[in-house]
Amino acid sequence: MSGCPYFGNSHLSSQTFHREEEDESQEGVNNASKGGIIYGDYLQLEKIVSAQVLQSELRGNKIHDEHLFIVTHQAYELWFKQILWELDSVRDIFISGHVRDERNMLKVVTRMHRIAMIFRLLVDQFAVLETMTALDFFDFREYLSPASGFQSLQFRLLENKIGVPDNQRVPYNRRHYRDNFRGQESEMLLCSEQEPTLLHLVEKWLERTPGLEENGFNFWGKLQKNIEDGLRLEKEKLEKKEESEEKEEMMAEHNKQREIFTALFDEKRHDHLLSKGERRLSYKALQGALMIYFYREEPRFQVPFQLLTFLMDIDTLMTKWRYNHVCMVHRMIGSKNGTGGSSGYHYLRSTVSDRYKVFVDLFNLATFLIPRDWVPKLNPTVHTFLYTAECCDSSYCSSEDSD
Amino acid sequence: MSGCPSFERKLQTFQKRSAQVDNGDDAQAGCNKATKGGTVYGEYLQLDKIVAAQLLQSERKGKKVHDEHLFIVTHQANELWFKQILWELDSVQQIFMKGHVRDERNMLKVVSRIQRIAMIFKLLVQQFMVLETMTAMDFFDFREYLASSSGTQSLQFRLLETKIGVPECQRVPYNRRHYRDSFQGKENEILLKSEQEPTLLQLVEKWLERTPGLEKDGFNFWEKLQANVEEGFRSETRKLDQKPKSEMKKEIMEDLQKRKMVFTSLFDEKCHNHLLSKGERRISYKALQGALMIYYYREEPRFQLPFQLLTSLMDIDAFMTKWRYSHVCMVHRMIGSKAGIGSSSGYHYLRSTLSDHYKVFVDFFNLATFLVPRSWVPRLNPSIHKFLVTAERYDSSYCSEDSD
Repeated sequence: MSGCPYFGNSHLSSQTFHREEEDESQEGVNNASKGGIIYGDYLQLEKIVSAQVLQSELRGNKIHDEHLFIVTHQAYELWFKQILWELDSVRDIFISGHVRDERNMLKVVTRMHRIAMIFRLLVDQFAVLETMTALDFFDFREYLSPASGFQSLQFRLLENKIGVPDNQRVPYNRRHYRDNFRGQESEMLLCSEQEPTLLHLVEKWLERTPGLEENGFNFWGKLQKNIEDGLRLEKEKLEKKEESEEKEEMMAEHNKQREIFTALFDEKRHDHLLSKGERRLSYKALQGALMIYFYREEPRFQVPFQLLTFLMDIDTLMTKWRYNHVCMVHRMIGSKNGTGGSSGYHYLRSTVSDRYKVFVDLFNLATFLIPRDWVPKLNPTVHTFLYTAECCDSSYCSSEDSD
Repeated sequence: MSGCPSFERKLQTFQKRSAQVDNGDDAQAGCNKATKGGTVYGEYLQLDKIVAAQLLQSERKGKKVHDEHLFIVTHQANELWFKQILWELDSVQQIFMKGHVRDERNMLKVVSRIQRIAMIFKLLVQQFMVLETMTAMDFFDFREYLASSSGTQSLQFRLLETKIGVPECQRVPYNRRHYRDSFQGKENEILLKSEQEPTLLQLVEKWLERTPGLEKDGFNFWEKLQANVEEGFRSETRKLDQKPKSEMKKEIMEDLQKRKMVFTSLFDEKCHNHLLSKGERRISYKALQGALMIYYYREEPRFQLPFQLLTSLMDIDAFMTKWRYSHVCMVHRMIGSKAGIGSSSGYHYLRSTLSDHYKVFVDFFNLATFLVPRSWVPRLNPSIHKFLVTAERYDSSYCSEDSD
């Protein structure tokens, strides 16, 4: 740029450069020489990059692959921290009531989607540790005891804050999972059990879904009527048919459907399943979720529908994470005990179950899908709530309070 | 377990719940060792350092921007993995430099580690999807606080590039300054040192030059190949000449001539050395021969792992390019065409690093230009050419226990 004729001959193989790109790529000035925080300091790399101490090396028998083991877990913990950062911010938006201002929905959904993307990365990350063989792991495993993933505070916090309930956890060696932690860590865990979880907050939010009001749109009452009408019509049509094996099968199928929907509208039954831990949302929240499902294309429900989808993505990805972990552990240690003393593989396999699926009710909604014409009709001139969002100015937190 | 009745009752509640889980008892076997002392997880991983290293500049300046945390963590994760790549890279460099690579029992270790590096790069490419959840608007909110900090100051990234084999003279100058000028003191020395030590490219080059079968007084692969290729073209030309004149015959003739020219350049050592001096080729003429030999005879037992090595080296190049490209795309989305933070022209500078100048093992990719029909490949005779089934082992240098 200076116009000097001799500049740059040594290192520019100019014939492979386009002239205009070359000039543009050289524009600018190197700011770092002016002072101000530089990359390594900004990221506190002196901490990050000096945190790898091989136990095998400390014991005088350095095993190469231990470094990979350490770095992989550290990377996981970094991302757990990020997930907690996003999770806590979303919980705050709900807890503070800011979620009632619907301008905050984009922020909420974006952050939940981000959490899902991070989990996706964490599932992919197994491929790197899988380049370590069981034989290589065996060489340094003895130096790890009794350290174990059970002692990962952040992982437990994450589970709790999303909504894994204490009483659904598979006990670990017949002891409470919190027993692995002492002092401040144990207190933090206790707090996370007692504060509103994401599940709990979403439940309350679902209960407030517009359209559920009995003296308003009365979605549930209308739905029940439509389904009963629909099933009755179906039965009448079926009965008119000629007797045949096919008719019998269709009748049986019809009766099964009837049973499913009878159960859906049975509040007592729902509460019973709730107490057993097989369902996790209140009856009203379930209604809200079904309403959002059926009317997801109405402007007001579009982003709420995305939220429900991302919540299920997170559950799915966490299950995949657990499963990938199990497979790898099996390959690494077969049926031996874990370094923390658990049964290792068997314990982990027991956590790949629906009891750890927080938003299991959203998945199960697929049981209750119905033909479009059974869905209670909406009248846009009457039911204006579907495209009128609520914006309570006092609680919108767009730029100033960036939480 | 003790027979105490109240304990049994508590146990039963656990068991009832675990009854749904088919592994009930198996899952509960074992005892909790952590209570007995010893290194626990958090200490082992020095999590007190890792998880306390996120300090938002926007928060320090009193205007906390939520997304800055993601920005920090993403870069820290990248740097953690860069460290791991350097760990693997250095160990492979040692195996070559100490001569241990001559004992072919070390090949599995070498290839596994190179493949691991490729997997890590693959993960780093996947990692972009997380940072892509940040919008340009959100980035704009805290970008000003990053002032003079920039990825061009990443020491580990530069070390990585240099140790793999990106040559200093091929680098796109950054604001017309040397890339090393971004670093002071000790870091600058470390970089300089890495430029002076043998790179992966150089070590692999020397190794390729030693490929069995190249010896002129031995199998003499190169001359045999040249003879076969020339004969092959002669025979193709003869067959083509016999065909009646037609438009298609003319096209095929032209194509044949083109291919002949390609192979004429292949056997022209002066041409290769000229391209080498221009930086368009990176390995010596002899090393190129070795690589082509491994390609053609990759199914011979002795060459199977060497072939995997060449493939994995190309994977590394491919993933690094994809990483650079993903980075460029994201930068473009975030800042358009404004100057980068370290004040280069950001997008334009990064785009210029996508060129083949940064592709270290470019010669392996180009070998695909010289593939020939199987029948042209010089024949091997297993009873004479024993070198293909006999590996070399030097007991004194095999380093299975010495886990480097």
